[in-house]
Amino acid sequence: MLLALAASGYAVVVSVVGARAGRAALVVSARNAAILAFPLLTLASLMLLIGLMTQRYDIAYVWQTTNPSTPDFYRFTALWGSQQGSLLFWCWIMSGFAAAALVLNWKAYRRLMPYVIAYTMATLAFFVGLTFFLENPFERHWIVGTEVVKAAIQPVGGRVPTPTEIGVFSESARGLNPLLRHFGMIIHPPMLYLGFTGMVIPFAFAMAALASGDLSTNWIKATRGWKLIAWLFLSLGLILGGRWAYDVLGWGGYWGWDPVENAAFLPWLIGTAFIHSVMIQEKRGMLKVWNMFLVIFTFSAVIFGTFATRSGLVESVHSFAQSSIGAPMFFFWAAVTLVSVALILYRWHRGELKDETHKTGLLSRETLFVLNNVIFIALTVAIFWGSFGAPITSELFMGTNITLGAEYFNAVTAPLFIAMYILMGVAPLSAWGAMSVGRLGRALLVPLGLTLLTLAALFITGTTSLAALFGYGVVLLAGYVAVYETVRGALARQRTAGEPFLRALLAIFGRNRRRYGGFVVHLGITVIGIGVIGSTLFQVETQQTLRPGESLTIGDYALRFDGMVNGAIAEDGRVMVIANTTVLRSGNEIATIRPRHDIFPARRQEDMNTMMIAGAHSTLENDFYVLLVGWTPDTATFKVYINPLVNLVWWGGLVLILGTLISVAPQQTLPSRVRARVMAEAPA
Amino acid sequence: MKIGGFFCASLRALGFIIVVLMLAAIPALAQTVDVTDDAVNAVAKRLYCPVCENQPLDTCMTEACARWREEIRLQLAEGSTPDQVVANFVAQFGERAVGTPLDPVLRALALVTPYVLAALALMLGVFTLIRWRGRRPVSTPAASIPVSDDYLSQVERDLRGK
Repeated sequence: MLLALAASGYAVVVSVVGARAGRAALVVSARNAAILAFPLLTLASLMLLIGLMTQRYDIAYVWQTTNPSTPDFYRFTALWGSQQGSLLFWCWIMSGFAAAALVLNWKAYRRLMPYVIAYTMATLAFFVGLTFFLENPFERHWIVGTEVVKAAIQPVGGRVPTPTEIGVFSESARGLNPLLRHFGMIIHPPMLYLGFTGMVIPFAFAMAALASGDLSTNWIKATRGWKLIAWLFLSLGLILGGRWAYDVLGWGGYWGWDPVENAAFLPWLIGTAFIHSVMIQEKRGMLKVWNMFLVIFTFSAVIFGTFATRSGLVESVHSFAQSSIGAPMFFFWAAVTLVSVALILYRWHRGELKDETHKTGLLSRETLFVLNNVIFIALTVAIFWGSFGAPITSELFMGTNITLGAEYFNAVTAPLFIAMYILMGVAPLSAWGAMSVGRLGRALLVPLGLTLLTLAALFITGTTSLAALFGYGVVLLAGYVAVYETVRGALARQRTAGEPFLRALLAIFGRNRRRYGGFVVHLGITVIGIGVIGSTLFQVETQQTLRPGESLTIGDYALRFDGMVNGAIAEDGRVMVIANTTVLRSGNEIATIRPRHDIFPARRQEDMNTMMIAGAHSTLENDFYVLLVGWTPDTATFKVYINPLVNLVWWGGLVLILGTLISVAPQQTLPSRVRARVMAEAPA
Repeated sequence: MKIGGFFCASLRALGFIIVVLMLAAIPALAQTVDVTDDAVNAVAKRLYCPVCENQPLDTCMTEACARWREEIRLQLAEGSTPDQVVANFVAQFGERAVGTPLDPVLRALALVTPYVLAALALMLGVFTLIRWRGRRPVSTPAASIPVSDDYLSQVERDLRGK
């Protein structure tokens, strides 16, 4: 870690000196040092992993996150199971992104590279330094007299523990936080970290453009793939986090507007605004300053979210314990944001960020994209205010602690999400430059007709809630536009090329992956929207206490309590209390489910953890979701939810991922055979 | 950590029994007053655990929250309306006990501010559009360099030098 810190520090200084002095050799040396940070941090992460797998309880982190009964799989995931390890893991991923960006973009964007090195490595150096000096995962237990002392370096008068003493440590080892023993939580943090750290690359290129004065679209071309990859991982992280909350937190939902959830959502919102807004700059040379602000604030939101989660600023089921890294992280966040904004203002003042075109129609695509950006920024501001702004303001200036919960977020964000879906439906039908009302209206005719037909079908089949019909209508319009535009494109291709429809469909995806991948993403967001509306507006719940053989009814379902299994012990030592239940619908048995409590014994009572694991019968129509909330020797108390359409949230997430993958795949306009021939024939 | 503070199996068992008894006591208490769990949860959903930050009271698993849910049940059984129960909790634990503040100033601060900020964002967007429509096309700024090729960059630098 120390070597990685030195390498990244060296890269920062030498790249800037090399760029200023015009000495290419220094820049190459800085690049090599920057790339070297990756294998060094890989080695550090491997060392910690080996410590976890070989049960080295003399390492404080291993003692803190595992114990002898921890299965190997969870030993592996313990690498990011607590503050110190996860910071090292974060540094490792960031160094990987930086190395990949430097290798892949080195030849094409040489002028930007020195500054890209400087910004990526400055960020990496900060995080490695933070990890090494304040949250070192390699701190060990030393024996000083009769005391056990935790330190990275052997203290004066201290000695290494004997194997017997290490055995003693193993008996008191804590084990992985039970909340993290879930598939969603195992891959949710790495996905989020990939999304967060991936945002450093677009940020570094933007800053490099500002620093170097190369304010053409080079930085945008260079970051096109990186920003989508980061956005993809961030989306995956959010979806998996929602799934984890649904399965593990035991409250029947997937999004609780928890401040830490929101902290991860903020960069996603600004990043999404940027993905749309940057198209205007590419196509029309407009919004140069705005795009710079968006890319910088996306990264700023990443750093702020990390600060909020790890500093103890807010408490949440996700937060790491309060630690000493809060102040340095806050100053780093403030410095990054201020320096970036100052650089933008400097270039703006010099007239180097002027738009190349100003004229645009009122219904043109760029106008609608600007409105789309307004909505995303308004959502960001509203969520930031509810999560951090209002609680901090009220505490600082009014001396009162307040919590803004789902009531606030639902009230404030619902109109904005509706506006977002409307624009998602209308904007793709508009054209760059200008669009008449009549043309836009004609383009909307088919999707709008399909939406109205679907709403009529929903009404006839029993959905009479006006709020639901309006919500479904808005969301469906966006989905139908995505499907309609894709089908229209394929039909046009079919007519001109005389190809079968499916082949034409594949061809248009191959020719314009960004556009049609984007439509698939919109379709995914539509499916998620339908799931959210269904599971929010139509969720029903009840809580009742039953004796064995008794049933409760909810909707057209019934839940029969068949009996308890007390004290079953799992392989990892947890004690399970299981309720056997049967789900009936219209009198017919359709499933048996076993909600349970997992009790994780510990040496001290305050370290003991209990988890409520839901039992669920899942169909595309709904989830019959059961929690065992209490029991006596004769009774059990169940909390039962029916969550209509909730599984569409996960399916929509998969569609969204698929669409992003299509968009991010490299565009290949000529077959590789032809390209190879052209390259071979080209003059040297 | 002192050497000798070893893992104690009996302590683990004792802890386990305490938790099981603790959990078992919750539904037993629930049957003491004739108010349904659903009525209690409907009120608890509007409240936040005064101890665990950002955790709604109806889903919090701590013993303290179980007691507070019983407190809700008692107040409902005594004839308090859900709004009165919420107000009682706010009086007892402060505004952080409720999802949106009851105090009019704090409520306005919480609910109006995002709309004001959204309106500002909208004004910024409208201002941008008006600016776009009101100005003539401008040429590409001199500082822009369309291609990042080393050779072209060198040529540009040379030209600027002359």
